[in-house]
Amino acid sequence: MWMLSFIPDAILLWTIHIILLVGVIGVLASYTVFKFPFINRYRLPIQIISYLLVVVGIFFEGSYATEKSWRDRVAELQEKVAKAEAESKVANENIKTIYVDKVRVIKEQQVVVQEKIKNVELKIDSQCKITADTVDILNEAAKGGKK
Amino acid sequence: MKLLLLIPAVLLTGCLVTPVKQNFPEVPPEIMLACPDLKTVEPTEKLSEVLKVVVDNYGQYHECRAKVDAWLEWYKTQKQIFKTVN
Repeated sequence: MWMLSFIPDAILLWTIHIILLVGVIGVLASYTVFKFPFINRYRLPIQIISYLLVVVGIFFEGSYATEKSWRDRVAELQEKVAKAEAESKVANENIKTIYVDKVRVIKEQQVVVQEKIKNVELKIDSQCKITADTVDILNEAAKGGKK
Repeated sequence: MKLLLLIPAVLLTGCLVTPVKQNFPEVPPEIMLACPDLKTVEPTEKLSEVLKVVVDNYGQYHECRAKVDAWLEWYKTQKQIFKTVN
């Protein structure tokens, strides 16, 4: 039945309606053709074919209704997915903006602090000397277990 | 007979066809970068030199924290959006 999804809605619907309609007309006609003797001899085949068309038509009407409900659900889901993807893009833009702003503030603060160090550099260095051990300990901590 | 096997194969391909495809949400490229290693101090006697590296490293931490915050926000938001579809 999934193969029906390749056929456009309108064509599928009209084909099914036509099958059912031809079947119903055929059934009705098969009960009236006895008035015309030259057609009356085809009455049985007409009846059989017409009933078959009615059965097939009704079957396909039901199938189409099911197919239609699935197509509606697919369309609904596609709409939801499209909406979610659009929302996702907007959310990403917001997240990116917030992150970029935070980093900008951090970098600006870094510059301010580094400037402050430069201003008091001579004073700090004249009052305090660092030993090699201090640097090693600090580097060890910075490496966080990496060799 | 072998050709008959093609019939169920063709019909069953319908089971593999999913008409709605939801793509995995994108991540802003800015937060996709890994946090760099902390800077180490070159051998020196000057406290100011050490201080500069420490300050740089603090800045690195804050940038990394902002990145983790962004990832947490991304996950929370995308999960909410995902729930609206399913």
